[in-house]
Amino acid sequence: MQDIRIGSAVTNGPGQAQGWLKLADNPDGSPMQTPVVIVTGSRPGPTVWVHACVHGNEYCGTKIVHALLRSLDPRSLAGRVVALPALNISAFNRNQRTSPFEGYGGGDMNRAFPGVEAGSLTQQMAFRVYRELKAHADVLVDFHTAHTADVRWAIYAAGTPEVAAQGEKIARAWGYRDTLAAPAGMLTGSALSTAAGDGIPAFIVECGGKFQAFDGAAVADGAKRFANVLRALGMLEGAVEDHGPIANFTDFAWVHAPRGGLFRPAVRCGERLERGTVLGTYFTLWGDADGDAISPHAGTVLAIHPGPIMVNGDTLVHIGLHNAR
Amino acid sequence: MKEIAVGTAVSKGPGIAKGTLEVGAYPDGTPIAIPVVILRGATEGPVLWLNACVHGNEYCGTFTIHALLRRLDPANLSGTVVALPALNLPAFQKNQRMSPFEGFSGGDLNRCFPGRANGTVTEQMAHAIYDPLKEHADYLVDFHTAITPDTRWLLFSDYGGRVSEVGERMARAFGYRDILPAKADLLQGSTMHVAGHDGIPVLIVETGGIGSAFEHAAVDQAADRMVNVMRALGMVEGAVTEHGPLNFFSSFDWICATGAGLYERTVRCGDTITAGQVIGHFYNTFGDRTGDAHAPSSGIVLAAHNGPVLARGELLIHIGLDPRPR
Repeated sequence: MQDIRIGSAVTNGPGQAQGWLKLADNPDGSPMQTPVVIVTGSRPGPTVWVHACVHGNEYCGTKIVHALLRSLDPRSLAGRVVALPALNISAFNRNQRTSPFEGYGGGDMNRAFPGVEAGSLTQQMAFRVYRELKAHADVLVDFHTAHTADVRWAIYAAGTPEVAAQGEKIARAWGYRDTLAAPAGMLTGSALSTAAGDGIPAFIVECGGKFQAFDGAAVADGAKRFANVLRALGMLEGAVEDHGPIANFTDFAWVHAPRGGLFRPAVRCGERLERGTVLGTYFTLWGDADGDAISPHAGTVLAIHPGPIMVNGDTLVHIGLHNAR
Repeated sequence: MKEIAVGTAVSKGPGIAKGTLEVGAYPDGTPIAIPVVILRGATEGPVLWLNACVHGNEYCGTFTIHALLRRLDPANLSGTVVALPALNLPAFQKNQRMSPFEGFSGGDLNRCFPGRANGTVTEQMAHAIYDPLKEHADYLVDFHTAITPDTRWLLFSDYGGRVSEVGERMARAFGYRDILPAKADLLQGSTMHVAGHDGIPVLIVETGGIGSAFEHAAVDQAADRMVNVMRALGMVEGAVTEHGPLNFFSSFDWICATGAGLYERTVRCGDTITAGQVIGHFYNTFGDRTGDAHAPSSGIVLAAHNGPVLARGELLIHIGLDPRPR
């Protein structure tokens, strides 16, 4: 395969190359740079671009990417894996979702693609990532986490038929039951939506939780599923494992908490909900039960607030909607 | 019965009284008013004072106190439980250890007791809390958590005489295996240190993890064990459950990390470790293993950083030293 350069990571035939891609300057003038690993196979094939920690504290993805990289042997790989395992590096360092240097714009990097060369900090970061992604990626895989360790769902871009078909193939090979086929226009500004608009099949994995909800089991399972995706793409030898049917939700609902308080959830990720299902119970500071949170929709729990405390407007529950549209 | 008043919670007889204790004021002038529950038994007896969330994000204690209150019936209780389940309320709200209004001094509420009426934000809070505590408490239990859900250990005020004797009785009745008899100079400015020196026996319970490491299993177990402590103090009827063999430590080591990066621990709370043993692995952001963390002393793991990321100087591991079966 042709050699490529991404930042200071420069390939030289089959093997692994490491380097840094500069995204911005820190206030002290030092470079804000994100790690890049490129594994080039010994046979031609597609380039899979994978990144994690576009939201800086979603570390499960970083560890899944690392586990995959450790398992890859360039001699048995067709094509190339380009990995940016700690994308929003200044947020990664601070264990927070957005860059600590972001002021006005909110700074959700996954709403800033394709970026603006002379825009806000996060827009500039997105620009410098997306320029490389668009130049090199045949497929995008983007890793996220939610609140709790039991989070397991996925999204593929279902814009054009070609992008949708390849996305569904990847989603089936990854094999989480709860998978959303995202129509064009959903998650505008995400790497997924932007890449799909440029004809690049794109897939988001939502796996595990933040902070202390980080879970090694989710990582080990994710790395196995990732290898299965590479088999489905013809990049690794071997039979593709069949994980069974996927749900193909066509929409989801983010439900914000209509009230706050101490909170104990009553449902777990993957559970079916009816409209009216009790999602959890609120308690006062004095320890008295103080009413229930009720599901406004039927569907499947993608993420649930773990408590033990909640403020108005927190994401109470994230529901995959069946039979929508 | 003699009136017991803590803030607006006023108890004159058997039953539950609820209210708030003003410990400060927000920038908009509204009071920082922390919750108080007084649960008074039908029979006269001692006052057991319970504190949780002196560190604002250690929620297991709040829920343990709530669960304990639900287990208690005033008709079968001798004495009184005074519970302050969310002590550092502004920090509680923000899911952080220290008050968000604390500026210069760091503001660890559990190093500020007995407090100062005209001190910093946190010193004033400590003062407002310690005054009624000193007036009413015969025993104090203070609930904390560490990093991970598997945290389970105890400290008691081993300052001599009755404070030691009753503190040990409370620790044995709670019955986590790993126990530090805390010497008189340890944790100065903590409620244990100050109350213990004022003659009040103190038990500190360390159970479960901060923030999203919160777990109801730890809470329910701790509430059951607290009922046993109350049996040992003669406040609740029934035989005191004997727990298994206990370890008493001579002291503990706080170890700060000298490495940084992505981190995977290889030991769990309660594990016995020996000096030099590997306790975790470091990785760089490319995914390469860059080194190991080693135990600097032998003992039992009380708390351990579980990654996934770690800055140099963060608490790596907390080790109970010189465990002796007692």
